[in-house]
This record gives sequence, C-alpha cells and structure tokens, in this order.
Amino acid sequence: MATAMDRNLWARWQQEIEKAPAAEQPPTTISGVPIDPLYTPDNLDGFDYDTELGYPGQYPYTRGVHASMYRGRLWTMRQFAGFGTARQTNERFHFLVERGQTGLSTAFDLPTLMGLDSDDPRSLGEVGRLGVAVDTIDDMRQLFADIDIGKLSVSMTINAPAVVIMAFYLANAQDQGFDWKKLRGTIQNDTLKEFHAQNEIYFPPEPSVKLAIDVVEFCTRHVPQWNPVSISGYHIREAGSTAAQELAFTLADGFHYVDEGLARGLAVDEFAPRLSFFFNAHNDLFEEVAKYRAARLVWADRLRNHYGAKNENSWKLRFHAQTAGCSLQDKQPEVNLIRVAYQALAAVLGGCQSLHTNSMDETLALPSEHAVTLALRTQQVLAHETGVTNTADPIGGSYFVESLTRQMAGEARKYFERIDELGGMLPAIDRGFFRREIAEASFAYQREVDANHKLIVGVNAYQEAESKQLDILSIDQAVETEQVDSLNKIKRDRSAADLARTLDAARRAAEADENLLPTLVDAARARATVGEVMLALADVYGRCDTAVV
Amino acid sequence: MDQQPNVRIVLAKVGLDGHDRGVKVVSRALRDAGFHVIYPGLWQSPEAVVRTVADEDADWLGISLLSGTHMTLVPKILKLLADAGLTHVGVLVGGIIPETDIPKLLALGVSKVFGPGTPLPEIITYLRAEGSRTHA
Amino acid sequence: MLDDLLVRLGNRDRLALARVLTLVSRGEHLAAIRRAVAARPEGTPVVAITGNAGVGKSTLVGKLAEHLRTAGKSVAVLACDPQSPLTGGALLGDRVRMPSKPDDLGLFIRSVAAASGHQAVAEHVDLMIRVLAAFGFDVILLETVGAGQGDTAVRDLADVVVVLVQPESGDEMQWEKAGLFEVADVVVIHKADLPGAERMEAQVRELLSLPGCREIAVLRVSSAKGQGLDQLWNAIAHCPKRAGELEPAAQLLLRRAQQVLAERLHDRAGSVTPLVDRWKRRELDEAQAADELLHVLVD
Repeated sequence: MATAMDRNLWARWQQEIEKAPAAEQPPTTISGVPIDPLYTPDNLDGFDYDTELGYPGQYPYTRGVHASMYRGRLWTMRQFAGFGTARQTNERFHFLVERGQTGLSTAFDLPTLMGLDSDDPRSLGEVGRLGVAVDTIDDMRQLFADIDIGKLSVSMTINAPAVVIMAFYLANAQDQGFDWKKLRGTIQNDTLKEFHAQNEIYFPPEPSVKLAIDVVEFCTRHVPQWNPVSISGYHIREAGSTAAQELAFTLADGFHYVDEGLARGLAVDEFAPRLSFFFNAHNDLFEEVAKYRAARLVWADRLRNHYGAKNENSWKLRFHAQTAGCSLQDKQPEVNLIRVAYQALAAVLGGCQSLHTNSMDETLALPSEHAVTLALRTQQVLAHETGVTNTADPIGGSYFVESLTRQMAGEARKYFERIDELGGMLPAIDRGFFRREIAEASFAYQREVDANHKLIVGVNAYQEAESKQLDILSIDQAVETEQVDSLNKIKRDRSAADLARTLDAARRAAEADENLLPTLVDAARARATVGEVMLALADVYGRCDTAVV
Repeated sequence: MDQQPNVRIVLAKVGLDGHDRGVKVVSRALRDAGFHVIYPGLWQSPEAVVRTVADEDADWLGISLLSGTHMTLVPKILKLLADAGLTHVGVLVGGIIPETDIPKLLALGVSKVFGPGTPLPEIITYLRAEGSRTHA
Repeated sequence: MLDDLLVRLGNRDRLALARVLTLVSRGEHLAAIRRAVAARPEGTPVVAITGNAGVGKSTLVGKLAEHLRTAGKSVAVLACDPQSPLTGGALLGDRVRMPSKPDDLGLFIRSVAAASGHQAVAEHVDLMIRVLAAFGFDVILLETVGAGQGDTAVRDLADVVVVLVQPESGDEMQWEKAGLFEVADVVVIHKADLPGAERMEAQVRELLSLPGCREIAVLRVSSAKGQGLDQLWNAIAHCPKRAGELEPAAQLLLRRAQQVLAERLHDRAGSVTPLVDRWKRRELDEAQAADELLHVLVD
C-alpha cells in the first residue's frame, strides 16, 4: 500500500507495546497461527486493490460473489432437520417453513447415511435417531409430502449412498409431477471428505468418486438448477483440523472433482458453476473471515487461470456455512447460544450464501423445538438488527483481515504442492496424509486446552458446579418398530421380479462403467431399498470395511 | 526405567457412528503416557470388541459412543464380557452420554463415564490410580 | 496360579493363551512357559511380512489370513508396532486392517509392542511363536515394524520372509532397499493396482539378477483388488524352510554379531560404495564381494 507513514509515531507505539503487559494466553488463532499486536499498511506489501480485492461479484471475488451481497438479498437461513420417520420430519419441515425458513435441509439417520436399511441387524438402536430413516422411495414421498419442491430449495446431507438417494428423490419428484429442470437444491455427495474425516464410507475411494461424478454428470444434463455436490470443509474441521487445512483440503477435493468431471468429457463451464461448498464457522472470527475470502480468491484463480474456465459462474465459490458443532459444550449449554451468534457473525462477514446455526442443546441430543427456534432467531437478529448487511464486505480493507487472507491463501497453496508431491488426491488418501494432518492438529489443540493455553468458558474457565438441566428431545423407540413394519410391508407388496430386474440392470451398468442414475431411478420405482442397491453395487465395486487409521 | 508393566487398553468405536476425533486424541494421549493402546477401528460389533479384549488380554476397555445408542450397546458388551469370563476387565465409556444415564451405566458395571471435553490428564490419572487390574 | 494357567493353556483355553502371551511379552516366567511348550512338535510354518512403513503390511497380512482361513487353515497373527522409547507406550493399530470375525476361532490376532532399536520385532517373540504353535495354529504370520536395513532378527524367527515394496513415484530405487532383500525369500510388489507396479517389478528383478544371488520369488499383489494372493501363498509354501539348527545361545550370539555388522555397514556406507559398485558391474561374484565386505567391516 502506498501510504506514507510517520515512523516516529510507529516507534513510539513499538516502545509502548514492549512495556505493555504480556497476553495471558499465547496470542494465536484457534488454529495456532500467531497474531501480531497490530496490523498496518506495512503488513500488506505490494497490495493491489484490483487484483487482490476487486469488487464483489467480480473476479477474484474476495469481496463476495454478488455485487450487492446482502443488501440485495439475504443469505438463505437453512436449518438442518430430520429425525424419526419421514412423516415426523415432514411435520418439522412444515413447522420451520411456517416460522420463516427459506430452504429445507434434510438430515438422515446413521443407517441411511451408511447405506443400510432400517431392518439391517447393524441398524438396531440407530433407526431415526440422528435423522430421518429413508429406505425406499415411499419414505421420500412421505418426507416431502405437500411441499412444493419446485419452489423451495432442498438440501440433502448424505454421501456414501448419495447416488441412490438422488435417484429416489428424482424418481419421487417426477412421480409427483415436478419437472426436473425446475428442481433446486443440493446433495452433499462429497465422498472425498469422508475418507479424510467423516468416515461415511461404503465403497473404496475410486468407485466412490466415480459415483459422485455420476451425480454431477446426470444433474448437469438433466437437473440443471441442482447443486450436485457440496464440497465440504465442515467435517474436516470438526475432525480437528486447522482453518488452513480445512481450506486447503476442501479446495483440493474440489479440484479433484473438476479433474474427474473433465475426464468424464464434460466441459468445465458445464458443471463448475454448480459446484458448491460447505464450510465450518468456528470461533476465531477473523481467521474464519480470512478463510472464506481466501477460498474465493484461490478457487477463482484456479478455475480461470489453470482450468481455463470462461464462464464467470465457474469462478465463483458459493458456500453454505454451519456453526461449529465441535465448539458446543455440554457445560453451561446456554452459553452455546452466544458462541453460535459470534460464529454466525463470522460466516456473514465472510459472505456465505446460506447458513445453519446450531442449537444450544445439540451436544446432548437432537435439538428441541425451542432451541431450534432460538437458533433461527440468531440469524434473524443478525440480518435485521446489527446493520452488517448494509454494505458488501464490510470488513474488507482491514489490514488484519487482508493480511490473514493472504496468509491463508499461501498456506493453502503449500498444501496443494504437498498433495501433488504425493502423487495426487487418491495416492495421498492411500498414504493417510489427510488423516495424519488432521489427527496432529486435533491432538495439538487438545493439549493446548488441557494446558489452559486455550480457554473455553465453562470448561477450563468460569466453571460452575451445577449444570442447568435442559429439556432434551428423546427419540421414541417406537420409531424403529414403525419404520421396520412399514419396510416389511413394502417388501411384501412389491414385485420381486421387477426388483431383481432393476438391480441386475444396475449391476450391469456399473460393470460397463455407465452413469448409474437411470438404472437407479428404475430401481427406486421397483421399491428397491437403499441397502439392496448398495449391496448390488458392492458386487461390482467391493466394500471398504476399514477406515484407515 | 519404570518397572510397571505396560497397561493394555482397547479403545473401541462401536456401532455405525464414525466420529473418531475423540478416540484418536485419547489414543495418542494414552500412548504418550506409557499405555499400550489397541485400536481396532470403526464400526466394531459388540462381539468383535469382546473378541479383541479377550485375545489381546486387555486390562481395560474404553467404549466411545456418540450416537446415543449407549443404553443398547453398552449393556450388550458388558453381558458378552461376562459370558466370556472377562469380568476383571475395567470398562470405561466416553462420548455423548446424558447425565441421567450415567448412574444407570455405572450400576451395570461400567467403571467410569467420561463426557466430551474431559481433560486428557484426568483420564490418565484415573487409569493410573486404578492400577493395571491384572489377575494372576 | 501359574501352574493353573499353564494347565489351562495345555487344554487349549484361549484366555489362558492370551494371558501367557502377555507374561512372555513382559519377560515373566519364561523358563516355566518354555518348559510347558517344549513337548510340542515343531514344524508350524512361520511367515514374516516386513517392509517399510506405509507399504501395506497389515492389509496384506489380513488378506493372507483370510485366504488361509478359506483354505481351512487356522492362523495366528503377531502384529508388531513400535514402542515409544521415551514413554514405553505404543499405539497398536494393525488390527484395523485385518478381518474382524469374532466367531471364527481359527483366527487369532495379537498386537505386540516392539522396543525401539534396530529390531523390527518385539522381545521374546520367538517364545510367543512357540506358544502359538503349541496351541495348535496351522500357520503363524508375523508382521514386523517397518524394517530398516540389516534386520536379521526376522530371519531367525521365520521360515519364510516376505518383503513388501510398493510402486514409487521416483525413478531410482534406493540402494537401501536392496538391504531388505538380504532377508527376503519372497519379494512382493504390493499395491500392484497402482501405476508403476510393472516398472517396480522390473527394477527388483534387475537387482536380484546380480550374479550369485539366490532364488527369490518376485510377485505382484494387490490387496485392494484381491489379486495375487493365491500365487503368494504358493510361493511361500514352496520356499525351503530355514531350520534353526544352532542352539539358542549360539543363535543369540550370532544375531548380536549380525547386528554389529549391520551397524558398521551403516556407519561405513561411504567406504563400502566402491565395492558395491564393482559388484553391480559384475567384476566380482556375490561370494567374493561378501568376503571383501567382511574384511572392510571387521578391520
């Protein structure tokens, strides 16, 4: 920056700093990045407004992906929902829409997430517990009953069996008379981060990626308004990574999907505009803001300059944010309301397109209606009472923020080099690179907390003897019985011949390396279950039984 | 050189839940504190956990659960341990356990429940105080 | 108490087996245990699987175990992981990659911590092997810690030593790897589904084709795709067994001397290089080269 600065004034400040009391805790970000006592133009050597910042809605999008940002249109307030049966979740959907939610987000139960049916022996005790159980297309129909999915945007958080769930969704949508071209929403479908962090794994890495790209390819052609993959850093961060790792690994995953899409014969501009992202919104406000801005900057650069994308929408990194689940504490849980508020602020200052705010009782169980309402209100206060939406990128230009943004982008690029050195994404996964990095960061953080270098209110600071008992939502065991009964009935009523035929067709398509969506849509209509389809595909792809440590 | 024999502890993730951040951090901490930690990975069935405890001659079993299935899975494991003649093995439970369920687990035979955010030194102190619980 | 334990061991009590292995690993009651298993016949094949970290030893051991189980053989696995020299603690995670079949009593997996040093196996593994053999397992698989060069301890413990390598991104195969081949009876190009497997095999064969080298089987195996396991077991089964004909004390002394030589070779690598080059250029045969090497190391 070409600002003339008076060095005498600076020298005086330097002296005063040296005499000032030392910080109680080491002044680093939550990821361990050391922070200076002050940031000035000196920190931004060679800073050029047009190339590093630019304008919102223009390359390199550091300041945001839309020209007017929230002044023109607020972010989507999208709260996760899902528990019990499809009918119960459908009720919760209606409840949220009535209270002002603008998009629906679906959480599935563990068996469904893992590609298992509700009657699988391993599903015992887990059906409908952490999300909705979906076994067949009939559950899908029930889940979205009387909801105009042509108008609302729907997000489905599922990975390992994403290709199957997508098929169920599309088959149901068509059956209900909706035009695929009108459907808006997202399916997470990000298998790479499962291998790094979340462990929702069924097939080995290579076929898992193939299936993910099947969804991308099919939606590019037939469901053009759908975001077929939500490239996620959230879970990587939840597993204990630093902010820089979250950024780097997520973008690296994104680049890999682009490579795979191109290998499929798609032109980059055909599918890149619909690649969306999902980041964590953690405690360290400025580090998070820098992370989001660096993400946009690095993605835009790569897409335009390396992949040669011509469509500006290919350069734009759009993201959904969720406040950090791992930061929620079970001691003094109401304090979580406050954490979530600051994290939401970070996400909004960072320019997210949609946001989920966690409920305060989320560490203990699925959130109660009261807690969910408060979480939504957090966003509404932020949007309407704080004034941060009045201008685009209000925090841009801060010496601190721009410094951190640069630093973060630099760290990400270093990680890309390391991944290349290991031979690329799949070899790096095979070598356990990502898992090791994350485990190291996670352990380092825990040591800092245990040593009281990182303070957490209520945990290692400001503790209280009594903890207030919150009303926790408990899941009725009857849910499992209901779901299994329902499933048994479907299995009795469906045509065994149709089932066998469609599963067979799916297997053959898999062997022939074709896109599986068409055959899976057929299987959906034949009332194939998620578990049955996954098993059929496993005949071709094999299973991944161990999550490599 | 410490003459205490190294205590063998199996850390198990049971059920479908795939969150392994906690169990990995605890593994590291225990290893750094001199324990021999056996980690058989994710998605272990109760039967597989007990087989591991038996064949590895473990002194302790730490079960990590975050999906709320503790009242189904923990009693099952305890019963299998008893059937296999492994009642001498100390059982710990870690993860998201509502306070109201803790006394129930302890009554069933769990030695201790560690909630999320338990400082690692606390776990180590507890295990050291309990001794290696070896039998002849 | 110990007597009771040994009786139960003799009666094929699995919990007693687990307990006795713990005692052996701690160096307790070794003499009594040795006596208890002395009467058992010898002859249980012991196969060691070794190689650098990350090459997929655990995965391959798991696949081999599965393969053997399908063929109706009972298998005991000893999986070694390094012990921290500072704290004595260990993270024993090899089980993760092995089959989890709690009802199958024909499979026994035991994790062992190996003290650091030049050894790739834990102390008293020889007795653990004897105990497992006496218990009645048909085959014993020994997975070592990622081996460095000159790990001769493995050679004395196992009948067949399988060394794993994997396709490299670099062009040169490090000369150090060749040290591993001194202990190998079978060399496996693991992760053979990855690019570079063919090239790696060619490089290995070239290295082993140096004059005077004994017959070493070279195979490509992919655990991920389940390919090559049949051939691997065949190669293992057809290896001539190494009979440990020396008495234990002499064996121990020999092992120690071998360790000393290996350490010296490591330290004097610089002065050894010209000799090695001459051997590579076939100016000497293996026996002559070995003789000269001995002189270099002993002087």
